Amino acid sequence: MRLPSSISPPVGRFADALLAIDLPDLDPQRRATTIEFIEGRITTLPSFTRFGVVVIAFTLDAMSRIVGLDRVISFVGSKPLPLLAEYPRLIRSLAYAFVWETWPATTSTGAAS
Amino acid sequence: MTAPVGHDCDVLIIGSGAGGATTAAILAEAGLDVIVVEEGPWVEQGSVVPFSLEQMDRQYRSGGVTVALGLPSIAYTEGRCAGGGTEVNSGLYRRPPAETLERWRTEYGIADFDSDDIEAICDEVEQALSVQAVPGAHTAPSEKLRLGAERLGWKHDEIPRWMAYPEQGNAVDGRRQSMTVTYLPRARRAGARLLVEHRLDRLVMNGDQAVSAELTDASGERPTAVSIAFRDVFVCGGAIQTPAILQRAGFRHRVGRTLAVHPTVKLAARFATEMNVPDDVPVHQVKEFSPDISFGGSASHPGLIALALSDNWRAFGAAITAWPQIAVYYAAITSQGRGWVQAVPGLRDPIVTYRLTKRDRHLLGQGLARLALLMLEADALEVYPSFRDAPSVRTRADLATMTAAFAASSASVMTVHLCSTVPMGERTERCAADSFGTVHGARNVHVNDASLLPDAPGVNPQASVMAVAIRNARRFVDRRSA
Repeated sequence: MRLPSSISPPVGRFADALLAIDLPDLDPQRRATTIEFIEGRITTLPSFTRFGVVVIAFTLDAMSRIVGLDRVISFVGSKPLPLLAEYPRLIRSLAYAFVWETWPATTSTGAAS
Repeated sequence: MTAPVGHDCDVLIIGSGAGGATTAAILAEAGLDVIVVEEGPWVEQGSVVPFSLEQMDRQYRSGGVTVALGLPSIAYTEGRCAGGGTEVNSGLYRRPPAETLERWRTEYGIADFDSDDIEAICDEVEQALSVQAVPGAHTAPSEKLRLGAERLGWKHDEIPRWMAYPEQGNAVDGRRQSMTVTYLPRARRAGARLLVEHRLDRLVMNGDQAVSAELTDASGERPTAVSIAFRDVFVCGGAIQTPAILQRAGFRHRVGRTLAVHPTVKLAARFATEMNVPDDVPVHQVKEFSPDISFGGSASHPGLIALALSDNWRAFGAAITAWPQIAVYYAAITSQGRGWVQAVPGLRDPIVTYRLTKRDRHLLGQGLARLALLMLEADALEVYPSFRDAPSVRTRADLATMTAAFAASSASVMTVHLCSTVPMGERTERCAADSFGTVHGARNVHVNDASLLPDAPGVNPQASVMAVAIRNARRFVDRRSA
């Protein structure tokens, strides 16, 4: 089964908005590098997981066009629904692991310490 | 894709980890013409930092982001490189407990499965892998486990590792004796051929006999089709890939239906002094509640500490700047749950699921609470449990709050020990392979990896995998000679 090659943009938009909330002081260049890393990792996920991520990413992306991405992230965070809640958790895990392995001297808001 | 390249051999071995490498060495040394195919690359030891993202990219399947679906889903990792999981795991070594061997023998009807024989093979493996205790000082995170256990009067010990140490060396100076420096070179010296970056596409069957394998060689600039004809094939791709390969070849009976793991939950503990060792793991384990619950230490580089704190970042995040004073620890349980591995037509990777039982969920909570207590006794200033919205723990009084807030479904559960997806034995209602790994219903298709272990052994399983694989390979040689 071929998965959409346009998986990156909705994942990237979601990751960008999530990082803006979680790590507001992360340097824009660092944030861009982190998002690039996340997008790369998503494309190497096992088939079925990737398929699930694609479905959730596109659904949330469509919702965000109506109510805004911040409200979508707030909704997903406040309603830990099975599988749906795994999506921000996955993005957050990849982001945090990358940020602090790459720039260990980073504060909890993303600022360089 | 370019025109297919053809090979032939007596025995094709799919996978080069603890099962495949040992099988290759035994069969090649017996004079058989052996080809080992490995999906991942050959990565020289020392060329990547252990437990780093680069290592995950180069030596793990899917960059280390693999998950068994369930409530909660369980993150797991698989090695995908020459040497398989032995190149990337903790290197801790435990013989299979005698009572476990006896249970496997009786409950699964494994013939000629004598504990003394397995022990004798373990002696041999320990010699080959230089299994030994740390010769000098232990790392600070490891000492914390020992200290906490001693103060609580809990049983604990140092787990030996398959490491070679230089004269006057200590815990961080070891060189892992993984398959790429032990059994794979042995196999090559005996004439075995190793083809890395070769992914198996399918086994070609003729009735109950496998006749050839079709693969893709991804080592060059362009993928190349490869065909390998053989008399026998050993599938040693690990507990996830092996059942998927068998299912695609048409084998269904008890294949992939009984995945067993050691689920673990984690916490991060902050101490008063710097003690983080980014690229190594503690060698002490606490066994007071074994086999139900065991405690040990995990890799703790800053990225993994951020990961451990991420379940309640608003409350825990500020601690990240103190990462040199933080280490990550785990509580592992023996699970009564089981999982499935299911190959799906059209999907490259199998679907993996795992279901924790009520007892498993209870044990995970109990394990996390006791681990937090252990850390407090080891002088931790603050403990950060890894479950959604977890409270931090600073005193014993906080443990009750933590326990009340815990739910397995909100925890970051993971595992690195996967087994039992092609259990061996003569009881065909429970087993997918016979007592020596030949798949029931097949003439020449054998399994020789963690898939064969009837259940999770309750200890690091590599010794069990290697001992069983060597036993089975020797029986194969004896049968061929006869």
